[in-house]
Amino acid sequence: MSLLRHAATIAAKDVRAEIRAKHAIATLLPFAATLLVSFGFAFGPGRDVLLRTAPGLLWMAVLFAAVIAARRAYQIESEDGALEGLLLAPIDKAAVFLGKAAAVALQLLMLVACALVLVVVLFDLTVRDPLVLAAAFGLGAVGLAAVGGLFGVLAEAARTREALFPTLVLPLVTPVLVAGVRATDLAATGRTDEAIVWLGLLVAFDVVFVSLGVLVFGFLMED
Amino acid sequence: MHDLHEKHARSTVTAVELNAVTRLFGANPALVRADVRVSPGEVLVLRGPNGAGKTTVLRIMATALSPTYGHGSVLGFDLVRERDAIRRHTDLMSDRTRLYEDLSAAENLRFWCRLLGVDGADIQAALDRVGLLEVAGERVRGFSQGMRQRVAVARTLLRRPQILLLDEPYTGLDAEAHHAVDDLIREASRDGRAVVVATHHAMQRGLADRVLFMDGGRIVRQGEP
Repeated sequence: MSLLRHAATIAAKDVRAEIRAKHAIATLLPFAATLLVSFGFAFGPGRDVLLRTAPGLLWMAVLFAAVIAARRAYQIESEDGALEGLLLAPIDKAAVFLGKAAAVALQLLMLVACALVLVVVLFDLTVRDPLVLAAAFGLGAVGLAAVGGLFGVLAEAARTREALFPTLVLPLVTPVLVAGVRATDLAATGRTDEAIVWLGLLVAFDVVFVSLGVLVFGFLMED
Repeated sequence: MHDLHEKHARSTVTAVELNAVTRLFGANPALVRADVRVSPGEVLVLRGPNGAGKTTVLRIMATALSPTYGHGSVLGFDLVRERDAIRRHTDLMSDRTRLYEDLSAAENLRFWCRLLGVDGADIQAALDRVGLLEVAGERVRGFSQGMRQRVAVARTLLRRPQILLLDEPYTGLDAEAHHAVDDLIREASRDGRAVVVATHHAMQRGLADRVLFMDGGRIVRQGEP
């Protein structure tokens, strides 16, 4: 229980700091809005093209957001040596991973909610199965946050951290991107049966990377 | 606390012990065959130029670094095999204060109290002791280095660690913060807790018990303060 209590303490601290600093949101919302609006204009008034591209654009925005939010989650630990404080605190280090990942996932879901409103308004997207859509973004956010939480600490130790982090993370999250786009597309068109397969892939990805994080994060933090 | 009592029987004479400890970074030695012993209640000062190995000694004692060669213990716990036990009773304080800029002083202390398993009921009293009660609710972002250091002192006051490790604790401090650090050391020593301080600054007369002079990663001599 102390593992979850410590993870909740770390997540609450990260969310509180982000709400005050508005660092990730101030970076991500303009990016998502620009991406969606500019592609909306670029593809012209043809509704079919817009609807076909909307899921991909949405997930591109979420992916970019995940990279920014996960980097930021560890940046605030490095600014004044807090990461060493977490290392030396007498807690299970998996709590740091779970807390960081939870905070990043929450931020991603906030961004998804805003971006969805934009897509519905700009692209006139109708979602026939909102439950599948919610599941796709929920599971996708957890997967992206888990990978970001795991590799964020590795990248923080490297001198080339700004380049290293996306290099490590982006190839690994390709399954999330593919499954997320497919599930979103199928949710929009109401083909729930087919979406289950892609949601299953997202569940498997989450289980693997959350478990991996819990098991190895302590080793990654130690000298 | 049971584990501490059990080990304490073995460590009443020596709170911290390093035996021929060497630490390499790549091929570069930061510390070479260091032998250090600190007794409970003793205030040991490490002196030496930049790169002498003072910080490496403290970080090894705090278990932030492992020895490459050699072995040692803190309160009877092995430096490598029993890191978690050592971390429960040890606090490393440096000029990097581990505070979050967008949280207030009180919120920072509350966060660390929860993680360190410390009762947070005395946060206001601790901030009062370091003269920061009036700014307890303000974000740390606007604090000077001296004020940040005083928040860190308040955190250590709340924690009351058995082993207090201070790395250049006087850097960038005003007179008031300087006194707060001195009080912290004096109180720890009086309570029988061991203190190791790495500093370039002259310390108040009577505060230190012993000085180790370091150079090039080696302990070159021992002296009176």
